[in-house]
Amino acid sequence: MFVADVRLPGLQDIAFVRSGVAHGRLLSVNKPADDRERVFTIDDFDDLNVLEAGPELEAFRQSPYPALASGKVRYVGQAIAACVATTRARAEDLAERVEVEIDELPAVVDAVAAMQPGSPRLFENWADNAFIARTISAGDLNLFSASPMRLKRRFRMNRHATVSLEIRGVVAHWDARLEELVVHLSTQGGHVMRLGLARALGLPENQVRVIAPDVGGGFGGKNRLLPEEIAVCAIALKVGHPVRWIEDRREHLLASVHCRDHHYDLTVCFEPDGTLLGIEGDVHIDAGAYALWPTGSFMEASMAAGNLPGPYRMKALRVNTFTVATNKAPMGPYRGVARPGACFAIERMVDEVAQHLGIEPYEMRKRNLVKRTEMPYVTVAGLKLDTGDYHDSLDTAAKMIDISAIRRRQKERKPGEPRVGIGFAVYTEQSGHGVVEWSKRKSRVVPGYESANVRMLPDGSVNISVGVQNHGQGHETTLAQIAAHELGIDPSQIRIRYGDTATTPFGFGTFASRSIVFAGGAVGVTSRRLAEKIRLIGAHLLQAAPESVRIENGAVLSDSGSVGFGEIARAANIRQEMLPEGMEPLLEFTGTYEPKESAGVFSYGTHAVVVEVDEATGGVKILDYAVSEDCGTMINPMIVDGQVQGGISQGIGTGLYEEIPFNADGQPLATTFGEYMMPCATEIPTVRIAHSVTPALVTEYGVKGVGEGGAIAPPAALANAVADAFRDCKASFNETPLTPRRVWEAAQAAMTRMEAAAETRA
Amino acid sequence: MKMTEISVRVNGVAMKSSVEPRTSLADYVRETCGLTATHLGCEHGACGACTVLVDDVLTRSCLKFAAMCDDRHVTTLEGLANDPLTDLLRQCFHESHALQCGFCTPGMLMAARDLLRRNMTPDEITVRNALAGHICRCTGYSGIVHAILLAASRLKPDD
Ligand code: FES
Ligand code: FES
Repeated sequence: MFVADVRLPGLQDIAFVRSGVAHGRLLSVNKPADDRERVFTIDDFDDLNVLEAGPELEAFRQSPYPALASGKVRYVGQAIAACVATTRARAEDLAERVEVEIDELPAVVDAVAAMQPGSPRLFENWADNAFIARTISAGDLNLFSASPMRLKRRFRMNRHATVSLEIRGVVAHWDARLEELVVHLSTQGGHVMRLGLARALGLPENQVRVIAPDVGGGFGGKNRLLPEEIAVCAIALKVGHPVRWIEDRREHLLASVHCRDHHYDLTVCFEPDGTLLGIEGDVHIDAGAYALWPTGSFMEASMAAGNLPGPYRMKALRVNTFTVATNKAPMGPYRGVARPGACFAIERMVDEVAQHLGIEPYEMRKRNLVKRTEMPYVTVAGLKLDTGDYHDSLDTAAKMIDISAIRRRQKERKPGEPRVGIGFAVYTEQSGHGVVEWSKRKSRVVPGYESANVRMLPDGSVNISVGVQNHGQGHETTLAQIAAHELGIDPSQIRIRYGDTATTPFGFGTFASRSIVFAGGAVGVTSRRLAEKIRLIGAHLLQAAPESVRIENGAVLSDSGSVGFGEIARAANIRQEMLPEGMEPLLEFTGTYEPKESAGVFSYGTHAVVVEVDEATGGVKILDYAVSEDCGTMINPMIVDGQVQGGISQGIGTGLYEEIPFNADGQPLATTFGEYMMPCATEIPTVRIAHSVTPALVTEYGVKGVGEGGAIAPPAALANAVADAFRDCKASFNETPLTPRRVWEAAQAAMTRMEAAAETRA
Repeated sequence: MKMTEISVRVNGVAMKSSVEPRTSLADYVRETCGLTATHLGCEHGACGACTVLVDDVLTRSCLKFAAMCDDRHVTTLEGLANDPLTDLLRQCFHESHALQCGFCTPGMLMAARDLLRRNMTPDEITVRNALAGHICRCTGYSGIVHAILLAASRLKPDD
């Protein structure tokens, strides 16, 4: 059951009136005279709080984001008024009758131009358009002047949307008996959303219950509190009957969380033999009009800069980062957060340097990758790469894809035949980062632990409640596997519960590749405590010494006999006279878990892709895709494969298809699946995956996260492959998505250059 | 708004309803009939999540008006609860990890069943082509393709 499937008596639908212009002063909103009470504007709510959002940094400028527009509109699609009716269609009818007057202002649509003096500003009280500007520098900065060789390039990863197939949704009603607001919300983290909703609505948290039923994908997009969600709850408190808003796809593409939109202007320094020395330049993140609660998208810039050195030994880093406000929908996290852009920039750079020096890109990587013997290795940006063998990963991927066969094929290519290219990209994926890392980032909410409540019922069956939120990651399976392992029972006897703040312990939700590390750890350590109590009771029932018994197959065994969990659970829950003297009844523990070290553990891998490019159209076709990855111990290899394949599918979307372009007025040009290209089964190949397992040293079972990795490397690997196909004419492909037009234009430009050069020589 | 009276057989049950002419078949089965296996991922015919059968023909219910279904048979995934082929597919989807969030799954099952009823021995390309226009954001499709090929391999000629 998804949010849109929730049926409550008296439920009515909400449709929003949205801004048609990117930037303007809101002069008036006129409600239809005959239906005023069913239309809501910000003026109808004098008690709503606007939440501070973004990192807790003095330098981070606040961009107050009201539930409905107030004073100004700052992007096309911003909600201005909400209309309530018995069906969505009727609510939309009503919305059409609301008259909005806006005094249009010049739009800011380019993050780099937005930082030029004289650019129009989104927030009058800001000195420029930057939410925050910071310089990250580390290592031996003299290298930048002393370096023997350097190369300068621009990269751009364009804006797209998160596009969960189930779009956003919220159903809210006031439960008069319990005196609480019940909110069904499609979210990745109900507990944190409750915190935000309660604050925005001015209710105590114990009068807000958030239920996330089945959630149809999130990918980051459902990990922020959006104004519509606050508005729907505020209306529910006013109207006295349940209300719902189910976002439609157009609203999703217009006004839900957008992502990427990175601009890089970089210079890489290196030795003549291809040894990388350092990287410097500017990174602009086009963050859209507002910071979303809680943490906005500020991590994009710092993570992009911090991940620029990637898995390579570099000695210096100096990056000026700008997180810029523009008249576009607010940016939020999306699978891979910042790293797809950083990986694209550095991995393209590596290939560009290789091309420049005439080295095989694969060799270039061998020369610079951190070695296993150097682990743990602290990168110049300060990330501690903990365990793994990056060289082995690269070799494995190279073997899987067979470089020499492709090189042969390229040599033998006859004019008129399609071009073929091979591309590599190596990535790392930080996961399991806790207090240290999140407080360093000045996060408003510090997701440094997860919790689990493990309970054995009187019949011996087990319920486990967790604070994370499955939305396709298979937590029911993996968490039950972990508990089964600790408790010595079959996973089928365990139920995993999540998604209701009323019944689950506080937790932060599912994002940042964190659930297997944190929730897996919490379930593991808490189940162990339960197992220990079960063992003690079992020993008592067997009249054996506690150290002489062990747990196996749902029973406690001594040398002379055994007692099943059913009996033990019965004693603990309903027959306390059978318990050891002084022992508390019940078999229930709630525990939290954070890894021993909280700077994070790093999964990693190499993507290798072979593409065919049609010279006449610029169309790119993937011929083969291979991955060699290492996410530490795998609890469930099938789920790992699913995450890798699914992540790559999204990465291919970023790399080849998905984009929301904007015109100069700030009008988004992709607002349906007619203009927004989603890859389907005909575009996404089955990826060949090789695993190696280097357990993490600081997590339970040696697990590392795996949710995001797949999405990080594809744009880089694809662009490298397309560039490789045009090696002979030195074409550069530095902007995603690599649409046929972009590919064709870049190839044409390079060929023209080559011909001109040939003519000059002649 | 003027209402239209329609008689539709939904999953074999005769329904008489009065609908707005603009009501889509998707909204009709979901809101009027309460059948929520039919999902809405785009409401403009591009994602396939809303796929149902109208007189046994694969149909995007978001693109069809309920009023166009007067006197017709509409089958949603709920109506295939006891269908052996759907059951086989469900099993194969399960074994092949062909769903993550599950939102696309009803449409995928509908399309897969339709394909196997037309072609019991599809190759991979055929399966992929049959799924073109069905969006899955989570799985990257390989599990779904695998599941359908697996189901095909298990089909007996008289199924
Ligand atoms: S909802 Fe009908 S095709 Fe997407
Ligand atoms: S499983 Fe989530 S959209 Fe397909």
